[in-house]
Amino acid sequence: MTKNQALNTREISKIVFKKGELVKEVEELSGENLFGCYQCGTCSAGCPFVEDMDLLPDEVIRYVVLDRREVLNSKTIWLCASCYTCAERCPRDINITKIMEALRQIILRRKIDYTDVLKIPKKERETIPQLAFVSLFRKNIG
Amino acid sequence: MPNQDYNQKIHHDLGIPLQDNYFLDEPEEIIQIKETPVVEGIAEAHVESVEKEKKVVYADTLIIGAGISGMQAALDIADKGYKVVIIDKTSTVGGSMVKLDKTFPTNDCSICTAAPKMVELARHPNIQLITYAEINKLDGEKGNFTAWIWKKSKYVDPDKCTGCGDCAEVCPVEVVNPFDEKISTRKAIYIEFPQAVPIVYTIDVEHCVGCGSCDRVCEAEAISFLEKSEEIEVHIGSIIVATGFEVFEPIELRREYGYGKYENVLTAIQFERLLSSFGPTDGKILRPSDGKKPKRIGWIQCVGSRSEQLGYPYCSRVCCMYATKEASIVKESNPDIDITIYYMDIRAYGKDFQQYYEHAKKLGVKYVRGRPSSVYENKDKSLTIRYKNTLTGEIKEDRVDLLVLSTAIIPSKSNKKLARILGVDVDENGFFKQDSLLTNPVQSTRKGIYLAGCIQGPKDIPDSVSMASGAAAKAVAHVKDRERHVGREFPPERDVSEEKTRIGVFVCHCGKNIAGFLDVEKVTEEAKKLPDVEYAEHVMFACSEDTSRKIRDTIRDKQLNRIVVAACSPRTHGPLFQDTLLEAGLNKYLFEMANIRNHCSWVHSDDWSKATEKAVALVKAAVAKVRLLEPLTEEEFSITPAVLIIGGGVSGMKAALALADMGIRSYLIEKEKQLGGRLRHLYTLFPSDVKAKDVIDPLIEEVNKNKLVDVMTEAELVDIDGFIGNYNGTIRYRGRMRKIKFGTIIVATGFREIDLRGKYQYGINTNILSQTELEEKIKKGILRKPRSVVIINCVGAMDEERPYCCRIGCGVSIKNAKLICERFPDSKVYILYRDMRVFGKEEEEYYADVLKNYHVVVIRYPGDRKPEVILDKNNPKHGSVNVKVYDDILGEELMLPADLVVLTINTEGEVFTEALKNMLKIPADSAGFFLEAHAKIRPLDFATDGIYLCGAAHYPKNLVDSIAQAEGAASRAAIPIMQEHMRGEGQVAEVNEDLCSGCRTCESICTYSAIEIKPRLDDTDRLVATVNTALCKGCGLCAGACPSGAIEQKGFKTKQIEVMLEALLQEM
Repeated sequence: MTKNQALNTREISKIVFKKGELVKEVEELSGENLFGCYQCGTCSAGCPFVEDMDLLPDEVIRYVVLDRREVLNSKTIWLCASCYTCAERCPRDINITKIMEALRQIILRRKIDYTDVLKIPKKERETIPQLAFVSLFRKNIG
Repeated sequence: MPNQDYNQKIHHDLGIPLQDNYFLDEPEEIIQIKETPVVEGIAEAHVESVEKEKKVVYADTLIIGAGISGMQAALDIADKGYKVVIIDKTSTVGGSMVKLDKTFPTNDCSICTAAPKMVELARHPNIQLITYAEINKLDGEKGNFTAWIWKKSKYVDPDKCTGCGDCAEVCPVEVVNPFDEKISTRKAIYIEFPQAVPIVYTIDVEHCVGCGSCDRVCEAEAISFLEKSEEIEVHIGSIIVATGFEVFEPIELRREYGYGKYENVLTAIQFERLLSSFGPTDGKILRPSDGKKPKRIGWIQCVGSRSEQLGYPYCSRVCCMYATKEASIVKESNPDIDITIYYMDIRAYGKDFQQYYEHAKKLGVKYVRGRPSSVYENKDKSLTIRYKNTLTGEIKEDRVDLLVLSTAIIPSKSNKKLARILGVDVDENGFFKQDSLLTNPVQSTRKGIYLAGCIQGPKDIPDSVSMASGAAAKAVAHVKDRERHVGREFPPERDVSEEKTRIGVFVCHCGKNIAGFLDVEKVTEEAKKLPDVEYAEHVMFACSEDTSRKIRDTIRDKQLNRIVVAACSPRTHGPLFQDTLLEAGLNKYLFEMANIRNHCSWVHSDDWSKATEKAVALVKAAVAKVRLLEPLTEEEFSITPAVLIIGGGVSGMKAALALADMGIRSYLIEKEKQLGGRLRHLYTLFPSDVKAKDVIDPLIEEVNKNKLVDVMTEAELVDIDGFIGNYNGTIRYRGRMRKIKFGTIIVATGFREIDLRGKYQYGINTNILSQTELEEKIKKGILRKPRSVVIINCVGAMDEERPYCCRIGCGVSIKNAKLICERFPDSKVYILYRDMRVFGKEEEEYYADVLKNYHVVVIRYPGDRKPEVILDKNNPKHGSVNVKVYDDILGEELMLPADLVVLTINTEGEVFTEALKNMLKIPADSAGFFLEAHAKIRPLDFATDGIYLCGAAHYPKNLVDSIAQAEGAASRAAIPIMQEHMRGEGQVAEVNEDLCSGCRTCESICTYSAIEIKPRLDDTDRLVATVNTALCKGCGLCAGACPSGAIEQKGFKTKQIEVMLEALLQEM
């Protein structure tokens, strides 16, 4: 978790979760039950972006189950490409992709993290596909 | 196969059923080749078959499926004297067990343990074996069923076929071999495997091209294209279903592991065939793509099991251990092969399983915790496995040359159809449903129909065998008042003591098996020259029906009084020839076999003259021995018709009731004031939420009401003497001594939690409880609301002191976590575990439900970093505690505050194991659990006849397994009683009292407790060894060990062996 401190830890620590617990809010948003996880690691082993992740997908689940809100600081949830490989292969039928989205939504809906387009350097801005911006703005709207 | 409505649809002019698939059974084209004109040929055949009187069989029990479970059930019932019809859909008996190479955790050869049962099954006078048959229809009700069995034609006359295999050699058709799990081919005329029973070839009609080659070469003229499939009507009183399981093939589901796509990905059962000495590679481990020995092999566990998507939700119960077994076998013989097993939880739950797993690790088998996500093939056909090692947190890729998938045990696809025919229910997975999973595990949903083995869910062999015996007990209850037939009737024995020795020698060709590789005529001529040989002849098949008639007639005509058969193994065929002797009025011990097939023609097939020479020598040795053989008598003794059951817990009570259902009286003794055993202390029962009270109270009432059960509480066995059938016991019963007589004994003394004082702060802080104490508190309603509960599993288990797993702890911890959560929904519950071992039917599902519904957090801790309980310094006795635990998955140390800690404590045998061990002369292990006769196929017997074992006295067990075992033990204990009389062995040990020094060597080594040192009858000052001929099995251990040469083994006396050696040495 120390690798990425891009987000404002103070803001994360101030979040008041629905029903008082991170896991309950994740469950409500994703519709998935995280406690059924056997920690087998299938999701992580199949994830195409796992090399760049600070927390592996199965560790993200473990953090949520243990009610550790630092998971919201993780780069992993933003690196998730929603390819559904994890969800497809999970023996416990847990849709990890949806859980990742739920974690992103917790942050986005509280407007803790948003992208200021103007702060992106021009050079970079020109290489980013337009579609990415559209998705980004949609997410920011909530 | 025609469907169940076959009977209704048969009304056709020619009597030919109308279904299309009927014709699959009838090789029209073959008939066409043989018979001209064609049309009349068919018509005639069918008219004949209709006119032929319908076959009707009257028996007591029908058993469907002749695997290890079906065979055990059949033998249990037939040994009691009832008639059994057993059918199997394949052409042999043996089922899945015979496909395995070895069995865990003893590494016993699988076929070697199963084959004697197969032979016994085929030879039993009370068992009618119908292979290649299925059930079509069932009518009636318990006590009076009628079943219609469709017996498919093998197109080979079973009376003529000798199993020589000449036909398969010439058959031009190669068919994918289902017995070898599709990794080899067989011919269109085949036997499933060399040891098949009955050893009759079968023509696979679907693939036969009708060329007639087999017919031309068959010297026994056994090929019969005109043989019809037929329907047999069977009248029985009860039914046992034991049709077993299938193995999951990951072709559609779990495709990511590449099975069916990459050549070097096998399922575990296919790998088992590779290991098998009679498999496609003769036991060599070669990878399919290039036939080379692999350098690295991987196993992936839970393929299709424990899967809520793309698989089956339950645990398959055996995969962890069979993978460990396969890996160990490979590693033992090939230390250079690198082996890794990828797993989620290692479920080494059974007796000696954990030790077996530890042993595999010591051999160098690597265990990696992590479920691979996918598998890719490389250019050299090796495979790359991508996985996360969840204990180190690394994502890794391993390359293996061969990958084995431990695939799920799944219900047979035909289960639903079979269930419909039988009128019983299947569960949501497709296994047969029990009447009550918890309290009546062998009963199906229809009365009179019982379940054995994997038909109701995955099971290992000992659990299947126990359950099969249990089903046998239940099935017998419906027919108990019918006539019983024990043994066979033979003409009176001729007294040969005054006769001159007249030896008859029969040399077998075994088709070409012997005659093709050595000179049987010469062997016969040489035999004729031997002194006292009155008659010698060579015969095509010594074991065939017509030859045994011939042997019988020759014995009478030539007044022969000693017989030598030079053929195959006495182990398989000896009893057959001995029966022939009995039929001819000769004592069956005046017989000797020379194994000139296995020992000569098979092993020396490349040297005609040497093989002949050796065969002559073996025959000479056999003749030399047979000349000195004496008629032996088997002692007959009667059986007291009552059973003593030691232990009044659920196992003891269920055993007593099962015996009572069979009409057998029992004495049930319990040391406590009340019946019920450990169950009385429990609140609910895993894996359901049934209250223990609701199980135990009706059971106690039923036992107390039953007139055939004599209950003694506050009772203890203080003295016992006698042997099977004739025991005299003294019971201390409420202060008084009571003497009773009984014929057999069931030990059901149960288990207890180990003494944990001093560990995990147990006994110091009042908030630290054992699981039993917790349940007592919940039961009484005095558990205060905890904020945070930590349950620690494997306390005092799987360590150096007690290396074994307690089998039940994981289940108990989950059930109790649920109990706490139900009562106190706001409490946080943590379970600290090592491997989550929930393996039984509905257990995995229950576990997953508890996790999901109650948000129980499970934390896996490593075996070498045990959790620590830290007391509050200020209030160590009553204060809250902290539990420090290293989380394997996160790789972090967690500190969990807890105001309630529950310890899942390991168990051991009950306190009086030691006393019982000495009194009954039965063995127990260091943990106080009794040792059964054979870990795999005799889990309920002791090596000593007449004493049986069930429940947690054998090993910790949950209710379901205990009940199945208890009913099984009842079946075993009932066998001698229902036989009323028993016969001992003829070839027993004999003591020369003049030479015996009473040194006790023989007494201490006798496995069967058949030798006792007693004062000599005519000289009471001298102690001598005395053989109990009722118990002696004639193993010869004592004769070999006796330092004074005082013990002789009848049938193998020193003189008899010496003349054999002399004869052999002369030849050299």
